[in-house]
Amino acid sequence: MTRPASAHATSADLLALHTLRCIGFASLERVAAAAGLPEPEVESELIDLGVAGLVTRIAGEFGGWGLTEAGRAADAQRITGELETAGTRTVVAEAYDGFLVLNPELLDLCGAWQTRTVDGVVTANDHADPTYDARVLDRLADLDRRAEVACAGLFAAMLRFRRYRVRLGDALARARSGALAYVTDSTASYHAVWFQLHEDLLATLGIPR
Amino acid sequence: MSWIHPLSPETAEPADVLGGKAHGLAALRRLGLSVPPGFVIGTEACRAFLRQGRLPDGLEDELAAAVAELEATTRRTFGGPEWPLAVSVRSGGSVSMPGMMATILNLGLTVEATAGLAAETGEPRFAGDSRRRFLASLAAATTDGGPIPDDAMGQLRLAVAAVFRSWDTPRATTYRELQGIPHDLGTAVTVQAMVFGNRDDHSGAGVAFSRNPSTGARVPFGEVLFGRQGDDVVSGGSLTRPLDDLADREPAVWAGLLEASRRIEEHDRDACYLEFTFEAGELWLLQARPGRFVGAAAVRVAVDLADEGVIGRDEALLRVSPRHLELVRIPRVVGVDEADVLARGLGACPGVAVGRVATTADRAVRMAADGPVILVRPATSPLDLHGLAAAAGVVTARGGPASHAAVVARAMGKPAVVGVAGLTVADASARAGARTVQEGATVAIDGTGGEVVMGTPRVETTAADPHLRRLLEWADEVSGDNSTGRDEAARLGAAHAVLRRGASIP
Repeated sequence: MTRPASAHATSADLLALHTLRCIGFASLERVAAAAGLPEPEVESELIDLGVAGLVTRIAGEFGGWGLTEAGRAADAQRITGELETAGTRTVVAEAYDGFLVLNPELLDLCGAWQTRTVDGVVTANDHADPTYDARVLDRLADLDRRAEVACAGLFAAMLRFRRYRVRLGDALARARSGALAYVTDSTASYHAVWFQLHEDLLATLGIPR
Repeated sequence: MSWIHPLSPETAEPADVLGGKAHGLAALRRLGLSVPPGFVIGTEACRAFLRQGRLPDGLEDELAAAVAELEATTRRTFGGPEWPLAVSVRSGGSVSMPGMMATILNLGLTVEATAGLAAETGEPRFAGDSRRRFLASLAAATTDGGPIPDDAMGQLRLAVAAVFRSWDTPRATTYRELQGIPHDLGTAVTVQAMVFGNRDDHSGAGVAFSRNPSTGARVPFGEVLFGRQGDDVVSGGSLTRPLDDLADREPAVWAGLLEASRRIEEHDRDACYLEFTFEAGELWLLQARPGRFVGAAAVRVAVDLADEGVIGRDEALLRVSPRHLELVRIPRVVGVDEADVLARGLGACPGVAVGRVATTADRAVRMAADGPVILVRPATSPLDLHGLAAAAGVVTARGGPASHAAVVARAMGKPAVVGVAGLTVADASARAGARTVQEGATVAIDGTGGEVVMGTPRVETTAADPHLRRLLEWADEVSGDNSTGRDEAARLGAAHAVLRRGASIP
């Protein structure tokens, strides 16, 4: 694999911390999948971060690994530091501008996937009409291509953002092969990953939601 | 003229030429209602623009002539230093669609015209505010970032081109693709003399339904913003007041609205929706369309209109789609005293949830161990999702039916109310208007109508609604089928089948 010399690589501990910052409370499996690292490596990083008081693990149905307040503050500081060190502020800001143009359309598509308006009535899409679903997925694929173009500079400059390309492409491919939950419903759905990319761009640029 | 049509009572072109908005405005003028004077650039001009990549030959001359006529009608000068004429520029295909440029207000407020408007009104702040809004909205609409000319005709050409170009934005293309709308229709552009809702204390803007869109009850319903322009109402960013505040503050405007909605209902024989502005106490209508009520409200309006003798029972039956009755088993909050309504937003996922307010995701998780929780957030981020998973329902101050919060709530099947204007979330409390709710207080949310209600209101499905019972009795009379065990949609569908057969037999 060729990698541009300028691409910035994020250290594993910051990657584990920042992944939690962008995806929220999650199981080890989900953190590893989002970060693109092996589970044992992520677990080791999370344990170290836990010792430092930056992350915590909560038991129970809605539990998992999550950031503490101190972890959130540390992430903000370190991720801004990374942006300045790597000199990538401009490229992230450009990607964010492109993202904001596409975001309303992506949300329209998610709404169209979940609901249909017939005779003026909005009802849940029961996915009984494959022609309609295929139209939504075709437009989603089109948007996905435009998103790749909009974020090309970002993917070239920062390795950690390339993970989104992989995960978005994976969600789209699964949805097109019939796994319907991968559009909006699964925690690895196109919308879930897109939502995390949105959060990452905001967090990286230090913009409050 | 061939590209441009006057906005007059005699305008007879169909909606696919004029666009839905202008077509409705011409109908209002025929009813003798006050509509700001103006003209419409028809959809043919848009199609030509999209083919050629520029305004078609002859359009500029027609624009100049139409503006000259508007100047004569209003006795003002477009962009002029004294008695300046400013206009609104609105898109309007036969259907409106996301991604298209919607509205540019206050166009023509050049430097000179702004000074003229300030001198004329004695309100330099109003004039300056109007110009700033104009510049911001035109700059947002013209993506190439070029300078905005300081001549009014130049501004108008720029705005018209921006509206035409917005037909082909990817978002609008996606919408047409999904809704099966042909890509070659194009949009019309409506240009009207401005009326200023932000002019003074006796000015404002609002939206009104002739009947309550949530229940169908025959009571005018809507929102008004005093001292502001119309886009503030629709954008939901500002705190609006209930429509009937007008009765006390601007009785003439209120009376005018009631009369207008009466005339429109009488003409359309249906509930209607209106957008309006009032300037210095004078009412102007900016848009009218049918109410398009759904579910229980559609049933109630049809039954009431039949009782009022406006339509027959057969037509009442045909007015309600069996689709609407698929919603009647969804629980709704009913019989709520207006004083108990904490706030209203947009229903994003239907159903009712009742629980204790939690204002952070972490506390929602903790509190959910002891019973149902309603998560109340300014907006949602992925950091809130464990709280949403633990909660029975969610309320967000920002966002619309197409927002991350709405998508996630629907994915989880949780009742959701989003876009609650004026809702602020502090640590351990939430504030809506003058009321503050502490964390732990019980609220109910209705993800169909968008209500957030204090306490534990009555929750019913529309299946118990007396209007629905009567409509279904009429349906059974028509179909002659009194067998039990059929659901509501099937009973209405059977009546439709008989009525449609009857209609096709001469």
